[in-house]
Amino acid sequence: MQPQLKSKVRCADREIGEVSKVIMDPLSHEVSHLVVSMNGTGERQVPMGAVQTVADDLVQLRSSSSEVLSLPPFKRDDYVTLHEVEIPGLERHIHVTPGEVLVPFPELERNVKRRTFFAKLTYVMGLFIGLPLVFPVMKFLMKPMYAPLDNRWLKIGNIGKLKFADTGTQFQYRRMVKEAYLAEAEVEKNAWLIKATPAVLEKVYQGKDMEFLGADGKVIWTNKKDMPYLAFSGKCPHLGCAYKWRKHKVLGQVFLCPCHLSIYDASGQVLDGPAPRPLDLLPIQVSASGEVQIIDMEFKAGTKSQTRIV
Amino acid sequence: MSDTPSAGTQTTVAEKVFAFVDERVGLKLLAAKMLNEAVPGGSRWAYVFGSILLFIFIMQAVTGVLLMFYYVPTADHAYASTQYIIHDIDYGWFLLSYHFWGSSAMVVCVFAHMSQVFLWGAYKKPRELIWLVGLALFALVLGFGFTGYLLPWDQRAYWATTVGVEIIDKIPVLGDFLARFLKGGPIPGQMTLSRFFVIHVMVLPAALIGLAGLHLFLFRCAGPAGPFRGTPTELKAKTDYFFPRQIWKDVVGMAVVFACISAMAFWEPVVLLDEATPDPGDYHPEPEWYFLFIFQHLRLKMFSGQFGQFLGSIAFPGALGVMLMLLPFFDRNPERNIFKRPFALIGWVVLTASILLFTVSAIINRSFLD
Repeated sequence: MQPQLKSKVRCADREIGEVSKVIMDPLSHEVSHLVVSMNGTGERQVPMGAVQTVADDLVQLRSSSSEVLSLPPFKRDDYVTLHEVEIPGLERHIHVTPGEVLVPFPELERNVKRRTFFAKLTYVMGLFIGLPLVFPVMKFLMKPMYAPLDNRWLKIGNIGKLKFADTGTQFQYRRMVKEAYLAEAEVEKNAWLIKATPAVLEKVYQGKDMEFLGADGKVIWTNKKDMPYLAFSGKCPHLGCAYKWRKHKVLGQVFLCPCHLSIYDASGQVLDGPAPRPLDLLPIQVSASGEVQIIDMEFKAGTKSQTRIV
Repeated sequence: MSDTPSAGTQTTVAEKVFAFVDERVGLKLLAAKMLNEAVPGGSRWAYVFGSILLFIFIMQAVTGVLLMFYYVPTADHAYASTQYIIHDIDYGWFLLSYHFWGSSAMVVCVFAHMSQVFLWGAYKKPRELIWLVGLALFALVLGFGFTGYLLPWDQRAYWATTVGVEIIDKIPVLGDFLARFLKGGPIPGQMTLSRFFVIHVMVLPAALIGLAGLHLFLFRCAGPAGPFRGTPTELKAKTDYFFPRQIWKDVVGMAVVFACISAMAFWEPVVLLDEATPDPGDYHPEPEWYFLFIFQHLRLKMFSGQFGQFLGSIAFPGALGVMLMLLPFFDRNPERNIFKRPFALIGWVVLTASILLFTVSAIINRSFLD
């Protein structure tokens, strides 16, 4: 046990006083010294090493009284009280109070039963308030997240722009977007068009017409396998950046995405880089006068299969 | 209260006011508890980063609130109001640039702070909870960077968000929901801006204040770890209080950081690109520099295809995060000396070197794209 305040202190030969203070070691959190009040002849600081035994109200020292008296007087200014300093966990290690310090327990609290019941009731009330809010709050936050798909045809330009076969040409167009409460606004977008040679067409369609399905699974448009114009969504299927038609040192003219360096050929097939699937083909129709129309679609990037989100 | 001065000793009004407050809240005791924290082994320059981070956060909050006097978080006004701050408001360019560079300083100092704690072995028992809360704070700092980046609504902002949200979309099961939740729709637009804005100026600051408070509380419960070398006697001989020596070092650190951020704001003020559109023109999208290493490693062949991309953008960073979280629980060896923890030292060097390598190679790659 730790030496108690007010304990009598006895030396090898006689009793010399009582414990007036204890000094704690800030690192080990143990009592390192006792301060002994010497019955009117000042205070001495005695290391715990000099203590032989500690009992309830008595501390027995190994040293003689003359040895203790010859120690230098205790210097109060070299120390601070526990209240004035922050030493984590130290207070939990002190068991030297001369007695408990008490305050009265209120009359009304003495015989209250079902304390646990009331404690649990607070949780129940919390749930009663919180749970009904979960669904409305989630719906509140989710309102704009799932917009219906839009299958309008957009005019994006004239095929007269396509001068060379198997060469990517960017068509910029504007799409009207109505978002929530905002006024309808124009958004600039772009698609890449190719006037394809039969070899490229074969690579893209592999001898089959390409069907585009709506959200309900019905066919909304079919790109004919022999129609020589291809439109690719301007969004890179790797992580959604915008790619360009560029000259590559080894691969020649390619579609290159500057973000993560995915490279595609004129048919949209991946030649190099991290892209998980070819460029996304869009529904396209060309009028007799050469006006190009597309359905503006966007697909989720980064997946092997296409998931349409716009 | 025993430390209340007796009425007769008061001379000035200031002393009277102080005594009045002290009598009611125990100011002196509070100040003593705050300042007289024993630092085992004494103050060090290595310990300054925590205080510096708190300082940077306060400055971000102050400059952020000032920017909100003019900034409007709508798709049709965000860009114009940011340009207005930069070009028309007195010192607007400086406050905005300070806020911008402050985020970089935050990331640098978080890295320094985490490295110090890691190398000193200060995450070990009994400080595991401080480390965990610290990791959560680190995630919040990255969240601040990501959400704040969209707010100017220029091309840089738009494309960093587009790619960032596509990456979040790759999280298994929850990804699609989270990505739509952040975007508030299928593509970035007004809803995205509103959401990022409220997350940036309300949700994250509230979370950061709460967690930083918890971080400090836990730190005070466990106390400073002190150096990883030295016997108890040596440590005790060198021990001093938080005030004045450590606070002095912290304050010098804050002043240096303040000077660096101001200098960057002055010499490299924020310049906006064109207003955000889904058509980037000639702009090559790129995230802020502290995300460049993730951006660059996603270019690697080994992270190609759907699965490779999941590995590179979700599994790999996620595993690193989980490892950091579990670190204090599987590293139970009480040895804190970094020179006696070869795996820890090698791990830190490899991680730091690869972050540097990927960042530098991303910067070198830029020149090949033009």
